Amino acid sequence: MSLGKIFALDKVATFFNIIRQNGGIRASLYKLYRQDELKDGTLVGEDKYGNKYFENPRFFYGRNRWVEYNDKAYLNYDGSQVPAEWFGWLHYKTDLPPHKDPSRPKYKWMADFTENMSGTTGQYVPYSTTRAKVEPWVPKSKSS
Amino acid sequence: MSLAKIFSVSSRVRATGASSVLVRHAQYSTEGKTEKVYPPNLPGYKYVNAEDPSLSMKEMTNRAAQTLFWTELARGFAVTLAHIFKEPATINYPFEKGPLSPRFRGEHALRRYPSGEERCIACKLCEAICPAQAITIEAEERKDGSRRTTRYDIDMTKCIYCGFCQEACPVDAIVEGPNFEFSTETHEELLYNKEKLLSNGDKWESEIASNIRADHLYR
Repeated sequence: MSLGKIFALDKVATFFNIIRQNGGIRASLYKLYRQDELKDGTLVGEDKYGNKYFENPRFFYGRNRWVEYNDKAYLNYDGSQVPAEWFGWLHYKTDLPPHKDPSRPKYKWMADFTENMSGTTGQYVPYSTTRAKVEPWVPKSKSS
Repeated sequence: MSLAKIFSVSSRVRATGASSVLVRHAQYSTEGKTEKVYPPNLPGYKYVNAEDPSLSMKEMTNRAAQTLFWTELARGFAVTLAHIFKEPATINYPFEKGPLSPRFRGEHALRRYPSGEERCIACKLCEAICPAQAITIEAEERKDGSRRTTRYDIDMTKCIYCGFCQEACPVDAIVEGPNFEFSTETHEELLYNKEKLLSNGDKWESEIASNIRADHLYR
C-alpha cells in the first residue's frame, strides 16, 4: 500500500478530477444543485432529446450508469424522459448502447418518444373508440 | 467467505445446544477444564460472531477504564465521521436506475407488424384469461375484410400485471412493456383505450422487440 493511499490522497485527487471534469467550481455547484450528486465518468452517448448517458465502473452496480437530462429541462427532469432506445442500457438489460446495437428495429411507423404527460395539457384523456350502443333519438324537424 | 459464515453460525448453534453439557463437565469432572467448542481451530475458517468477554483481572480493569474515560464516545464519533465520507448505498433515482429484467411486466402496449399493420386480430383470448377482467374488446370487420378490434380498453387500475394477456396472445400483439413510469394524477388517465395502447407500442417498439429477442430462447 502506497503512502498516498494510506492518507487517502487518491480520494483527494479523485475529488479534484471530478470538479475538473464537470467544468470548474461554478459548473460543479450548478450540477450539484440540479442533480444532488457530482460524478465523473465517460460519455457513452447522447440521444436525440439531448440527454447524455455516462458510465463509470468505479461505482457499484446500480450506480455505474447514469443519465444527465437535457439542460433545457432544468429542474423539471423526470424518469420518463429516458427514451425507449436507451431504456435497456440504463436499466442494465444490455451492455450495448443503441447506436452500437444493430439488431434494434427501426421502422418508419415508430413514434417519437414523449415523457409522462400526466398533469399537463398534453395528458391522455380516455374516450370511446366505438359508437355508443344507445343513441338518443333526435326527431326530424317538420320544416325540412 | 459465505461458507465460513455458515459454518460459524452452525457452530454457534451447536455450542449453545451443548452449553449445559459444558457446565456439567466443569462442575463434575476432576480435571476441571472448560473447553470452548468455538471458535474452531480449523485453518481457513474465521470466527465472526461476538465472543464472550474475558474475565481476567487485567481485561476487566481495561474495560472499566474504557467506560470511565468515555473512549467509546470518541470511537462512536469517529464512526459517524467515517460514514459521512462513505459511498452511499442508495441510487440517485431519476439519474441512476436499478437493474431490470427483459421479462419485466410494466405498462401495456399493442404492437404492430414491421409493415405497420396492427397485430391484434380480436381473438379475445386476453380478455378471456384476464383474472382481473380489466380488458374489454369489441370487434368488427374492417373495410378490407380483416377482423380487427374497434375497442380495446384496459383498465390499468384493475390490472394486476400478471402477464397472462401476453402469454395468451397468439400474435404477440398485447405485451407488457418495460415502462413503469406511467403514474398519473387522475384515475381517468389510466383507463387506456386502443389508440393509447397502439401509441405506447409505437413509442416502445425498440425496447419491446429487444426484450422479446433477449428472452426468445426461454419461450
